[in-house]
Parts: sequence; C-alpha cells; structure tokens
Amino acid sequence: MLKKSQSSLNLGFSIFILLFLIFLLQLSTKLALIFALSLALGYTLQKSRFCFVAAFRDPLLVGTTKISQAVILLLIISIPAFFLVFQIASNLHLPIELNVTPFGFHTFLGGLLFGTGMVLAGGCASGTLMRVGEGFAMQMIALGGLIIGAFLGNSSLPYILNIFHEFPGVFLPDIMGWVPAISIQLLVLILLWLGIRKWQKSKRT
Amino acid sequence: MTTYYLDIWGEMCPIPIIKTQRKFKQMASGDVLILETEHSCTSRALVVWAQENGHKYVEKEVSNGIWRIELTKK
Repeated sequence: MLKKSQSSLNLGFSIFILLFLIFLLQLSTKLALIFALSLALGYTLQKSRFCFVAAFRDPLLVGTTKISQAVILLLIISIPAFFLVFQIASNLHLPIELNVTPFGFHTFLGGLLFGTGMVLAGGCASGTLMRVGEGFAMQMIALGGLIIGAFLGNSSLPYILNIFHEFPGVFLPDIMGWVPAISIQLLVLILLWLGIRKWQKSKRT
Repeated sequence: MTTYYLDIWGEMCPIPIIKTQRKFKQMASGDVLILETEHSCTSRALVVWAQENGHKYVEKEVSNGIWRIELTKK
C-alpha cells in the first residue's frame, strides 16, 4: 500500500494550532475567537465534504437531491438562529450590523461569473479553500483566481452600481415584523423541500 | 459478471458522475465498475449518487488523497 501514516504530522500540526491559538489569545480575544471559529468551520467542511455546487447542479444533471436538501436544512436552521443572534445582541445592546443589500443587476452579473468560475474550478469558494488545505495543487490556481476575482469585483462594484443602479431594497422584517417574515421564509423552504422530494422520486424511475 | 474500469483521473465534478451514468447504461445488472479519483468531492458525489439509486458501493482511500470506488449495478 502506498498509504503512509500521517499521525505524526497530525500531532505536530495540532500542537502548532494550539500554540498559535494561545498566542492569538495573548494578542486579542476577538482574533482568537475568529481563528477558532474558522478552524471549526474548515474542519466541518472537510469532514462533511459539503458541496454547494452539487446542491444546485445535481438535481438537474443527475437527479440526486440529497445535497440540495442539506442546503435547505442549513437555511431552515440558520434563519431562526440569525434571528436569535440579532435579538440577543440588541437586548444586550451589542453593536450588530445587518449586511442587507438590495438586489440588482450586479447580483445577476456576479452570480453568472461566479457560477462559471465555480464549474471550471470544480468547486465553490468553500470547496476550493477546503481542498487547498488538503493539498490539492490545482485548487491553488483556483484560489489565486478567486482572490483576483474578489479584488476586481470589489473594486469595480461602485462603477457597476453607478451604471445599473440597485433595485429598491425590500427587507421583510421591516415591513411585516420579524415573526411573520421568518414564518414565511420557513414555509417557503419547507415547500421547496417537499417539491425537491417529489422531483427526486420522478427522476428515479 | 464483468468488471469495467473508467478513467476519471483529473476530472472535476460533475464529469465523473455523468461518465459513470453513461457507463452504467451499457452495463448489465451485477456488473462492477471501478473508478479511481484524486478529487475527494468526486468520490463523495459518486457515493451519494450510488446511495440514491440503490447501487452497491465500496469506497476506500487507497493512498493519501486517492480514492477507489467499486460500484455494483443493482
């Protein structure tokens, strides 16, 4: 077998991560928390092999919907959790900023570019990052492209917004309150879930 | 029962799954298809595809970063 044991490397890297975390704690708690959170996120992504591309691609291409269901479940969990975090933060008078931006032509343009790049690179942003961590050399090139693209997109956004303008923003909680807004979203997600189950049954013949 | 191999080295998702689907159409029930890939998500996607369609599968990481999948058509 070609398979070599990597346990000594694992141990060494774990110790390094732990020491780095302690070092960050000395500098600032915020940095250490961000580092710990991204570590947990990366670990989960790598172990679950969670693929956002597959969620949108597989139902149409091969008729499997498992990952699409996982993404819907992710939204069903994260929408109420987002509400909870927002409520707790405002009760404790912590500053929290909602990154709510209106939809517009730039959303289409970005989605099209990102989607094309995602298919060419064989993975979305999270998948690319995860595989760079695994040592997949081709994804290093994709990561380079990702960084250049993000930089170009960010610096050209004001011009694009200037030309095409944004649609007037609609933020549901502002119009109808938090509870109805979240209920509607959950209802839509559950309907999507049921629709996807039906789609899968029709594909499986 | 015949054993088939499919070359999917260096292919990105979703090409391996489409190739597998095409190959499966030519195969008879009980035939085995062996695939090897260096793309972790490809191996995962193939396993999910096999699970949802009721084919038997054996997934093994035969070397660091290389997965071998044996699919048996139902």
